[in-house]
Amino acid sequence: MSQPVVEIEDLHVELGRREILHGVSCRLGVAGTGRAIGLLGPNGAGKSTLIRTLLGFHRPSRGSARVLGFDCHRQRRRVLERIGYMPETDSFIASMTGVEFLRVMGALSGLPEEIALEKAHETLFHVGLGEARYRTLGTYSLGMRQMARLAQAIVHGPELVILDEPTNGLDPSARRRMLDLIRQMKEEHGMSVIVCSHLLADVEQVCDEVVILKDGAVVHHADLEAERRANRRFVELEVEGDDSALGAALEERGAACVRETAGRWRIVLPPDFDLRALWALAAAQGLSVRRLTQRRDTLEEIFMKAMGLLRQTPGEAAAGEEVEIRGDL
Amino acid sequence: MAIYKRGYQRYDGPRASRAARLAVLVRDAWRRATAQRLVTVLLAASCLWPLLCAFFIYIANHAELWAGMDRSFASILSIDHQFMLTFMKVQAVFSVILAALAGPGLVSPDLANQGLPLYFSRPISRFDYVFARLASLAGLLSLVTWIPGLVLFLMQVSMAQPGWLAANWRLGLGLAAGFWLWIAMVGLVAVACSAYVRWRLIAGALVLGYFFVLSGIGAVINGIFRVEWGDLINPLRASYGVWCALLGAPMPSGLTLPMSLAALALMGALLALVVERRLRPVEVVS
Repeated sequence: MSQPVVEIEDLHVELGRREILHGVSCRLGVAGTGRAIGLLGPNGAGKSTLIRTLLGFHRPSRGSARVLGFDCHRQRRRVLERIGYMPETDSFIASMTGVEFLRVMGALSGLPEEIALEKAHETLFHVGLGEARYRTLGTYSLGMRQMARLAQAIVHGPELVILDEPTNGLDPSARRRMLDLIRQMKEEHGMSVIVCSHLLADVEQVCDEVVILKDGAVVHHADLEAERRANRRFVELEVEGDDSALGAALEERGAACVRETAGRWRIVLPPDFDLRALWALAAAQGLSVRRLTQRRDTLEEIFMKAMGLLRQTPGEAAAGEEVEIRGDL
Repeated sequence: MAIYKRGYQRYDGPRASRAARLAVLVRDAWRRATAQRLVTVLLAASCLWPLLCAFFIYIANHAELWAGMDRSFASILSIDHQFMLTFMKVQAVFSVILAALAGPGLVSPDLANQGLPLYFSRPISRFDYVFARLASLAGLLSLVTWIPGLVLFLMQVSMAQPGWLAANWRLGLGLAAGFWLWIAMVGLVAVACSAYVRWRLIAGALVLGYFFVLSGIGAVINGIFRVEWGDLINPLRASYGVWCALLGAPMPSGLTLPMSLAALALMGALLALVVERRLRPVEVVS
């Protein structure tokens, strides 16, 4: 059986006298396959505590957590030899130059001295700090420091990289660059990546599976890769006019839909559905289309539903009364 | 191929040993400790007293230079435990100032810049981190304590009459052991103050305060309550008691060797506790 990147069994963690994680259990990723796992949840859900427990910062009060087959508490050193961690906080060592910082961090992770210097230069060029590598970290901008933190997490070529809020405080171009780098890490270098973020769009772009935490427990675990393979397309449609017959017409063409309010629809399109048919359908019913948004997958819906903010998604068995569900997939 | 053309390659070769990683940590701490110009100036200044002592040893061992002077002068010019204790007291003060200058730069910046998770998310432990800081500080303090002390001792051995070493070997051993005990105490105070306060300047003041304010408090206790155990909370005095025992000098009044050792052990334990509580990868608010 293939080995999971992270394997958590009934994990309980107490900080002070308060239990933060209440019996978390999950198996995430497959070692050596270069997958990205998104860790989602609202503030206080226990995401950071879970990451810190994987890093051995907190001792579990019950249960166990294993990373790449090693126990996070009993075999902490072996786990940390295989991990790269980018903290959420603005952590750096102000008096060091970029290259010095990476050399020391690489050597502390076990790179031989001569290799550490070479890798420091290589990694700084990789994250776009090549020109600034001889400047002290204290003079870097927030975005540059963020990139330097990413660089220190990957300088030693870890098997698993844990990124805590990697796009926090980045401008749009830096954010895009960060997401590209994360994608490269898994696709070109075969690293497993855990991305902890509040930004669903970021997770959606780079992750293959997601785990959603709420109040210290896993409330949902979804395989985004499988969702993408299913090629379900989601559309949000806003129309003006009498749309009472729209649902039935969509259903006839194999789509599933939810009428949220008058004129607002959420639709799941079948794989071969041509969007132009939707425009034609609206025109045939005398509706004017005010807005049409197409999304590739359902992460936002998955998240909202896991949080209890959305009762159901199109295509699922009806469970609520507020929305009208039509069609099935 | 130029590095900027080659691109990032994941390293999967052999990893360095734990000792090599620890050496990196020690070197990094040494670089920080010696980065300030003031530290270099103080190191140079702390050589003055050993130079004077070396001159003294030279004079003491060349009777022809003071022939004809009275006997009281001759009695002053003897290299014994009193000479060594005086040397140690002066250098101990230099070492405290040096620790106050160099020590806070070892941990405070990591706390101020939230750098501890970067260290502790790597295969090094908190013990490794503290050990590296202490080791670099011990190296620095050695330059002003036992190294010049042993140089003076060897100088005296080489110049003195043949029987001097056999009669006074304890001075060399006591000096080295006494200074190592002192270095451990000063190093622990510097690391604890540096871990307790994020601002270097205040941490430095705290190091000086630890030694000099506690000395004052000890003296005040002795004066008010007309006792002598006030010396036990004075790290300088407690260490002095141990030095006297190691060098074979009479113990100062009110102090015994077990009392001095117990006082130093208690201080060391409290400082270690401060370090243990403060140096954590993440702060947990109960």
